[in-house]
Amino acid sequence: MSLRRILVTAKMTGLELARRRIAMGLLTALPLAFYGGSVSRGSGAVITGGVAMAFSIAGASIFVALTARPVDPRLILAGYHPTELLLGRLLLLELFGVAVAGLFSVVMVFGSDPAHPWALAGGVGLVALTSVPFGLAVGSVSPHELEGVLVLIGVVGVQLTLFSTQLAAKFLPFWGGQRLLDHSVNPVAAGAAVPANVAYAAALFAIAAYVMGRQAPTVGGVTRHRTKRVTAR
Amino acid sequence: MQAITAAVRKVERTGAGDAALRASAISKSYGGHRVLDDVSLVVEPGEAVAIIGENGAGKSTLMRICAGLIEPDAGEVSVGGRVGYCPQEPGLFDLLSADEHLAMFAPALGLSREQAIHDGRVLLSEFAFPLGQRGQCRHLSGGSRQKLNLALALLGGAQVLLLDEPYQGFDHGAYVSFWEHVDRWKGAGIGVVVVTHLLADSKLVDSVLELKLAPDGDCDQR
Repeated sequence: MSLRRILVTAKMTGLELARRRIAMGLLTALPLAFYGGSVSRGSGAVITGGVAMAFSIAGASIFVALTARPVDPRLILAGYHPTELLLGRLLLLELFGVAVAGLFSVVMVFGSDPAHPWALAGGVGLVALTSVPFGLAVGSVSPHELEGVLVLIGVVGVQLTLFSTQLAAKFLPFWGGQRLLDHSVNPVAAGAAVPANVAYAAALFAIAAYVMGRQAPTVGGVTRHRTKRVTAR
Repeated sequence: MQAITAAVRKVERTGAGDAALRASAISKSYGGHRVLDDVSLVVEPGEAVAIIGENGAGKSTLMRICAGLIEPDAGEVSVGGRVGYCPQEPGLFDLLSADEHLAMFAPALGLSREQAIHDGRVLLSEFAFPLGQRGQCRHLSGGSRQKLNLALALLGGAQVLLLDEPYQGFDHGAYVSFWEHVDRWKGAGIGVVVVTHLLADSKLVDSVLELKLAPDGDCDQR
């Protein structure tokens, strides 16, 4: 594992995202519009806006994963380990997520005056934390951008239609953040929001790492071990 | 040039030995359709081999197997050192420039950023890449993208080069320059495999592996 390779991957991912200015602007504006459109209806706007923020960060992550897919085999063949590529992207996208989460926290704390502003910031942070591995995992298994974005819309959309107290909501990856956001404005306990969210993020990262890693043994078999033997099935 | 059949040698021992590349008894099927059936190929250091054949004969599949990008259903691949692989479709980041691609590959190849950009520009200039064009790859012509694609395969040095129709979109001058480079690489002891549709190219290599579609659609080697 090389820190330089991870940082170079992060830098190139950042350059790519920075050059998608219009797409990034639209992705960020979408959840802000969700929040702005529902702010007059009371405390639920915080939950809607906070969970919808996943559209921004997970959407960016899906784009990053899909645009890298044709190049990754060559990078791995050249000497990158798949995990280095994944960690580099994770690092940059989480930084992007922190920036977006900070913006959303400030907007919603001033816009909705929640009872527990730190819980609001924490909930938004949990959504950001999970959005990156969610986007990387979806991007790693989706054949094209359209399918990836449809999965994103479906999962986040269903999460938005459910209350955090419903059992079904717990089976979706953004439940932890949703619950903490709910706690920030309503008299509901935060419960296992943080560990559940961290578990979802870890599981999604593991899926992305597994899919990326499937490329490694074959390539490594040739370049690193000189000899690869495959027995006829 | 050797006769076509002479390019295909059955391999019985394990390991690349002194060969730059040794692919033995490679078979590969996709969805029940056999693309490669017991195909073998040996490339010695300093030897250039062309792989020819009809569309769907499995040329690119064999190259990807030799590069280690996909696994064969059966068979064995051994290489004598680092592989430089130039895919048929340029795998590039549309929003990054040529220099940024070189910088991205640098740490994987054990090069400094400056060294990779310097070496890469030397390679690109040899193929008349428009070095003054510092923009993103999406603004490059098809031929220029292919030149960057080829330069990335060559960057850092390699003991075996796997080039899958590497001169698509090249103008005549760049095409001629490419084959001059093949001679130079051979002189440096590099094994070179070139997938091509152009029969004229077969006169420029030491041996040819022809892949043919069998009557039932399966692929066979001649």
